[in-house]
Amino acid sequence: MKTVARTLSVLAVAALPAWGADFPAKPITMIIPAAPGGGTDTFGRKVAEAAEKILKQQITVENRGGGSGTVGIAQVLTAKPDGYTVGFVWNSPITTIPHSLEVPYTKADYSALMSIGYSSYVMCVAPDFPANSGKELIEAIRKNPGKYTLGNDGLGGTMQLAAERIFAKAGVKVRYVPFKGAGDTAKNFLGGHIDIYGGSIPPIQQHARAGKAKCLLLTSAEPNEALPQASGLKDVGMADEETVLWWGLIVPRRVPAAVQKTLESAFLKAAATPEVKEIMANKGATNKPMDAAATNRLIDTEYAALEKVAKSIGLEKKAK
Amino acid sequence: MDALGYLLAGFQTALTAKNLLLCFQGCLWGTAVGVLPGLGPMAGMALLLPITFTLDPVGGVIMLAGIFYGAMYGGSTTSILLRIPGEAASIVTCIDGHEMARNGRGGAALTIAAVGSFVGGTLSVAGLMLFAPYLADVMLAVGPAAEAVMMAVALLIVTAVSTSPPVKTFTMICAGLLVGSVGLDSLTAKPRFMFGNLALADGVSFVALAIGLFGLSELLMNLRDGVTERPRTPGLRELVPTAQEARESVGPTLRGSAIGFVFGVIPGVSHIVSTFVSYAIEKKLSRTPERFGKGAVAGLAGPETANNATTGSAMIPLLVLGIPAIPSTAILLSALQNHGIQPGPLLLTEHPEVFWGLIASMYVGNAILVVLNLPLVGLFVRLLRTPMAYLAPIVILICAIGVYSVNGSGFDLAVLFVAGWVGYLLRRFDYDIAPALLAIVLGDRLEAGFRRALTISGGDYAIFFKGPAVRIFLGILVAVIVAKLWAARRVGRPPAP
Repeated sequence: MKTVARTLSVLAVAALPAWGADFPAKPITMIIPAAPGGGTDTFGRKVAEAAEKILKQQITVENRGGGSGTVGIAQVLTAKPDGYTVGFVWNSPITTIPHSLEVPYTKADYSALMSIGYSSYVMCVAPDFPANSGKELIEAIRKNPGKYTLGNDGLGGTMQLAAERIFAKAGVKVRYVPFKGAGDTAKNFLGGHIDIYGGSIPPIQQHARAGKAKCLLLTSAEPNEALPQASGLKDVGMADEETVLWWGLIVPRRVPAAVQKTLESAFLKAAATPEVKEIMANKGATNKPMDAAATNRLIDTEYAALEKVAKSIGLEKKAK
Repeated sequence: MDALGYLLAGFQTALTAKNLLLCFQGCLWGTAVGVLPGLGPMAGMALLLPITFTLDPVGGVIMLAGIFYGAMYGGSTTSILLRIPGEAASIVTCIDGHEMARNGRGGAALTIAAVGSFVGGTLSVAGLMLFAPYLADVMLAVGPAAEAVMMAVALLIVTAVSTSPPVKTFTMICAGLLVGSVGLDSLTAKPRFMFGNLALADGVSFVALAIGLFGLSELLMNLRDGVTERPRTPGLRELVPTAQEARESVGPTLRGSAIGFVFGVIPGVSHIVSTFVSYAIEKKLSRTPERFGKGAVAGLAGPETANNATTGSAMIPLLVLGIPAIPSTAILLSALQNHGIQPGPLLLTEHPEVFWGLIASMYVGNAILVVLNLPLVGLFVRLLRTPMAYLAPIVILICAIGVYSVNGSGFDLAVLFVAGWVGYLLRRFDYDIAPALLAIVLGDRLEAGFRRALTISGGDYAIFFKGPAVRIFLGILVAVIVAKLWAARRVGRPPAP
């Protein structure tokens, strides 16, 4: 009897019209706007794996690198807005790149559904540098305006804007030297070619532990247990100036609200699974899932703050 | 435990049935992606990266590293047989390797390449084991200023790989530098020559250019020449190098190993730079430099060995500093990080099994590869007997798939086919293409190093004279210029009556 009832109820559910209640009825494509192998790709794939189990539907991951992430995002946003194409992105192509490059999308074109957490940038100096905390670092720079060189991932990139956001607030000046990625920056910092390392935590972490570098200031509000000596922005009284590297899920804005809701709750659950937490911890990132509302607020403040910084350092948008 | 004890322990790790199988898998897959044009070690490693989640860290890196150096072996195959560079490091191999194949010595060329790869790969692992910490210091000493000077030296040496007259070579270098400047400025992220096309943001696809300019143009040349039949299947004797060829390859192979290992220290483009430096040196040393470009054994053995010898030193910045010097080692880094292992100065003390297991597996892998590749020589050469009417479309299709697979970009396909036609026209008018391709790679680094150095010094050119690394490279630069002027003077003088 029970079996019959169950069968009937299944049939009843199956017979429901496609209002979004039966979403997802077919495999979902997740576009990652970066080459395979990097952090965004690894996290995206892990989150997709976890979400597959929750949504009980296959998620196919596609890498669409190029254009600093903008090409892949453009592809997500021109897809049919039915929720079967989603984008797993890091923040740079949505809150940073648009200030220096004409991109084929605006904030009105997408909705962020959730984010999984962040990874802070850090600034480190050589062991003999005359500073031992975030405060002292800023003071040392203040005493020597424009003297110190800070290596970063590229002018107009998130790390540089994150640093400039802090230094502009403090009213101090460094000279930015852009390198190709944090590894390249670390190499030039360790070789003594630049004064301050600016970049993600993993490339410099072991050198800090081995006593080859002093990591003093994070770009996140909170401190990070991997680098106990480094101050968070709270410690230097600038918690509002936090800029970090974070990852989240976006869809075209015209995706039906019910479908957005389904995806949001499924991916929030996926982000909180032990598998995702583990991989993020292993890569030095902080797992801190945020829902759609919080993520969209974050995008708005970050976009506005970075736009201001970009303008103040003379990054102008180039027309097509 | 001393180093020898660690190495023995490493072999114990590498020779377990599971790790041996993983090493073999990596080498096999690496050979495959190396042979297929467009798919390089990067793509091959990225594809299998998810598998390493389920493996232990040592097994994972053993497999991925196998793909990395396996691809260097495979890259020579299509270069020699079809003049299609499997990846950028094989461009120089195309020049004399393919000429050898056209002279009916394709089998011998493949054998020399495989043996050279084995020697270069093995010697460089030995170098990695013995000198890693010292070379890491040398690597750090090379800053932006030294890099800029070094790239200038490299650009000067590029002319040596050209078979066309100096004016045409110079034109091609300038063309390469121009094409290389397309895309987002690497320092300021400002668009250059992009015409609003975001597909050009990272520059014109190098893979598409290389395959188009070299490979497709070769097919078009064949069409023009009306080549319908490929040479018949060579007998066993033709697969094996003659005593003369073997003798000619010994010196270049050993020199190529040293050159490759030393140049592996240069971040980013080491595997490419080492190939043409080796070519230039072999040409200078040769008693018959006029044979270069027409199937000289030394012109194949040296560069092909050199590009494999960079694989060992490319591991140094990763294992000693935790910094990937080239994109392929970045994937290795990612695989280790996925398991919570951050390579760096503490790797040797905290995870010796990873370091020594990897090194031991690289010895094993190089042996596997040579055993794997030699029997394939006969098979690959037989492929050449396929009539052009069938071979050409298949090759074009494989090239197109390879190029498309890199970024999934239709624009790159357009670049591929346009580059094929442009390459055909250039070769009709005797413009050698290799200098242009190499200039694309070098120009970018030269410019970035130059501007970074001046940013650091605040616009003071004195930075190009400071520090030991810069001075050494300046010395080499001056020596190369003097040698060139000297050679030009000798050529310019009318022959004695």
